[in-house]
Amino acid sequence: MKVTYSWLKKFVDIIISPQELAEKLTMSGLEVVSLEKRGENFVLEIEITSNRPDWLSVLGIAREVSAITGSKLKTINFQEPKIKRKNLRPLKISVANKQDCSFYSARIISDVRVSPSPEWLKDRLESLGCRSVNNIVDITNYCLFELGQPLHAFDLDKLSQNEIRVRRANANEKIITIDGATKLLGPEILVIADAHHPIAIAGIMGGKETEVTFKTRNILLESAVFNPLLVRLAKQRLGLQSESAYRFERGVDSEAVRNASLAAQELILKLASGTPSGFRRLGVSKVTHPVINLDVAYLNKLLGTAIPVFKVKQILNRLGFHLKTKSRNILAVKVPGFRQDLKLPVDLVEEVARIYGYAQISPTLPAVKPGRKVLDKRDVIGNIKNILWGLGLDEVITYSLVDRGLLNKSGINTDAGLIEILNPLSKEQEVLRPALYPSLIRALAYNLDQQQERVSIFEVANVFSGRLNAVAEDSLLGIALCGDSAFFTKQGLVREEITLLHLKGILETLLNRLGVKGFDFLRQEDNKINIIINQKQVGFMLDLAPQTLGAFDIKNRQVVLAQVNLEQLSGSINLEKKFLNIPKYPAITRNISFAINEDIPVKGLLMAVEAKGAPLLAQAKIVDYYQGKQIPVGFKGLTLSCIYRVDDRTLTEGEIAPLHQDICSLLEERFGVKLR
Amino acid sequence: MDINSIQTQIEGDLAGVVSVQALEEARIKYLGRKGMIAELTSSIPGLAAEQRGIFGQQVNALKNKLLGLFEEKEKTLKTQSSVLKKSNLDVGMPGIVQELGHIHPITQIIDEICTVFNRMGFSVVQGPEVETEYNNFTGLNIPLEHPSRDAFDTFYLKDYSKLLLRSHTSPVQVRVMKTQKPPLAMVVPGRVYRPDAVDASHLFMFHQIEGFLVDENIRFSDLKGILELFAKNVFGRDISMRFRPHFFPFTEPSVEVDISCIICKGRGCSVCGRKGWLEILGAGMIHPNVFKQVGYAPGIYTGFAFGMGVERITMLKYGINDIRLFFENDLRFLRQF
Repeated sequence: MKVTYSWLKKFVDIIISPQELAEKLTMSGLEVVSLEKRGENFVLEIEITSNRPDWLSVLGIAREVSAITGSKLKTINFQEPKIKRKNLRPLKISVANKQDCSFYSARIISDVRVSPSPEWLKDRLESLGCRSVNNIVDITNYCLFELGQPLHAFDLDKLSQNEIRVRRANANEKIITIDGATKLLGPEILVIADAHHPIAIAGIMGGKETEVTFKTRNILLESAVFNPLLVRLAKQRLGLQSESAYRFERGVDSEAVRNASLAAQELILKLASGTPSGFRRLGVSKVTHPVINLDVAYLNKLLGTAIPVFKVKQILNRLGFHLKTKSRNILAVKVPGFRQDLKLPVDLVEEVARIYGYAQISPTLPAVKPGRKVLDKRDVIGNIKNILWGLGLDEVITYSLVDRGLLNKSGINTDAGLIEILNPLSKEQEVLRPALYPSLIRALAYNLDQQQERVSIFEVANVFSGRLNAVAEDSLLGIALCGDSAFFTKQGLVREEITLLHLKGILETLLNRLGVKGFDFLRQEDNKINIIINQKQVGFMLDLAPQTLGAFDIKNRQVVLAQVNLEQLSGSINLEKKFLNIPKYPAITRNISFAINEDIPVKGLLMAVEAKGAPLLAQAKIVDYYQGKQIPVGFKGLTLSCIYRVDDRTLTEGEIAPLHQDICSLLEERFGVKLR
Repeated sequence: MDINSIQTQIEGDLAGVVSVQALEEARIKYLGRKGMIAELTSSIPGLAAEQRGIFGQQVNALKNKLLGLFEEKEKTLKTQSSVLKKSNLDVGMPGIVQELGHIHPITQIIDEICTVFNRMGFSVVQGPEVETEYNNFTGLNIPLEHPSRDAFDTFYLKDYSKLLLRSHTSPVQVRVMKTQKPPLAMVVPGRVYRPDAVDASHLFMFHQIEGFLVDENIRFSDLKGILELFAKNVFGRDISMRFRPHFFPFTEPSVEVDISCIICKGRGCSVCGRKGWLEILGAGMIHPNVFKQVGYAPGIYTGFAFGMGVERITMLKYGINDIRLFFENDLRFLRQF
């Protein structure tokens, strides 16, 4: 909303500079977003919050200036002029439903001379960014900006049978609006119609057919109150915007309707001559004025202030409220018609605080009583993120809304079960994602395109699925790796392509650090491995199939990824720490190097060794892995480290020698290894 | 000479070795192809048959023992190189390390802000991203059809009437208050969604942090105190702040909070639109209608709530000029943080 400094002065004396005024308005809730010099004048652009339709006029802002500065508000009340009955057919007005239109008034002004507006009027409108049309239209706009009441002038002679019907449109009725567009109407839209068809969309825009042109002789000046909700819905449905609709949907001051129409008439008589030739109205323009009891003690308690009663009264008076003192601290405040937003005592507290100045309220610190500390999902997620970035992974954040194409490319069926967005702005927002990894593959492919050698990314976010009439939201961890893992050794840089084993290493570290016990990796398909905890699947690892890589334009690269359901994992997470005694006695370590058929899984071998070695064998683990020279084709070379230790004494060579021999025999006999 | 005295002799010899070179000489002397051990081994065939076995084992044990001793001595010599040998380390060479990854800047700012509030006694809670129309609007005193809703354009779900993607984090207020009684001190970070056309400062998905403090006797002055402490912790001690009256349906009185522009220090620049101020959050005293909606008896509790956009704060803090960078996930961007 724009307003000029000089126009404001019509209603209130201002002795402070435009800059100072802008600052004061901003700090009382009318944020001045720009202050522009225009000739000798200044234009203030103010952001008006949706609860304050009364500020959508020069008068409304002047009222606020008066409250801030203490200058008296100058209002002008117009008198009803003498009606000279012309030889016109009598005007018939009907309102089909007074819920739709609580008040409708029409003035007939005959023999007007429609012409271009005088310069001063053009200039005022143009300073607010409003185009000049002709004196009649300009006057209605002028009154809208000055007083906040939208008005509309019809060419009376274009009305069929001198009749105004405020009614809902019929299905399939059409209107050509003044901007030349044809709009299809319907029963949810309130129109002004003549005897035959709609001539205006109520409160939003007039029709082309009845618009005031330079040929117009007699006019009908409409001033009415339309249902804000109807105006809002019609405006949304028809995709129309206007200064009029903007005010009606927020609510106009019913009690000011008549004065606005008189003001416009007076100006018309002055600038376009003409004769007042009729006035008809229907409905009520009076509104109730609720009385709110404000307890000044409550006000000060809520604000943390000690504003004296007299000061509170002064502020409320300046805002134009009538009040009575009921007792020492209680004020009975009568709400003016233009302040329909005020309903509760707390609304008055804000009014007082605004004008008193938020800046005058000294900050205090409350006693915060902390809630119970519970380990929540966020702590776990924080832990996960810390572990992963420590392992060299970069966190990404991708959109929860995706297009079906992305899911299809990732091999996800999109025919059913997806949660669709009713009102997406583009295809990229059509569904809520049911999985994380498609977005991760896309982010990974994007970075490969940017010539990244290695991409190792993760995300923790929610995915969505439909379950009966509800939407289930699961928190997931996704990891995607691609490229070379490179690290320095004393022999120089070592590079190797990232494989599922690298991913497994990350997951093992993560699960161990989260205190998860008994997890396992089970191959489900050739390129898919399930992550299992206590017989339940909590996630999977995937070596992307060539067709998926192709769909994402990833060439000559291997991509591995994992997705873990954190909801399912959460029950197994144990971040509690417990101390275990440090072993008092030294361990004896014996390594066994051997070649084994590569089809024999290591896991079974380790379990067999551990079973055999108990209780002296504290741990058996693979410490080296080799395939190549010296190892026959079809075999892998492994080094198994056996760590012997007990808690109550130092083991001797003699004690473990026979056991270790047994383990070697077991490996040879049961697993057919060739010791090296 | 028996094996034991040979061992004693060698140990004595080794003790006197002080350089890698001397150690190598000793190795050749004892373990070399023509060294003492080789000599002893070659003497075995000449021994009486009954002695061969025992002597062979003794020589073998000695050899193993010596291998261990030499290895250990070598290590000792090498680790004492500071005294003995000039280092050829070129510190210009890249260090050998496992590289760290990076946490997304949005997560970092969320953590930073939540930590500030944690220290003041607030706990962190979360809520679902798919919300009910009630929690997102009605429960927060936002009428379903009113211009005040224009600020909360919302994605709705097909086939699930009354469900939507939350357009702000405030519905968590309703969720928490419906199930818990004050005192409440919470912050709520999370994703929110609005069907906004995408440009350098708008996206259809972004992050907010909501916070609220509800108890008996929480005052507007407390809101100022807590938010001042927060802003100074995040943006620095020397910023100035201003609290402007504003309107939100779920708070009364409502306020928008500005900090002096951190780029131009309040003089006016392109980042702050020449105003010298940057809006960082909206706040206010929780509206009595919200307390009514969640079933709190009237007049007992007061409280304040606030909400801020994480992307905006992150952009201001790091000087990022395009919001889309956050979700493009270019590693050249992410690895800067």
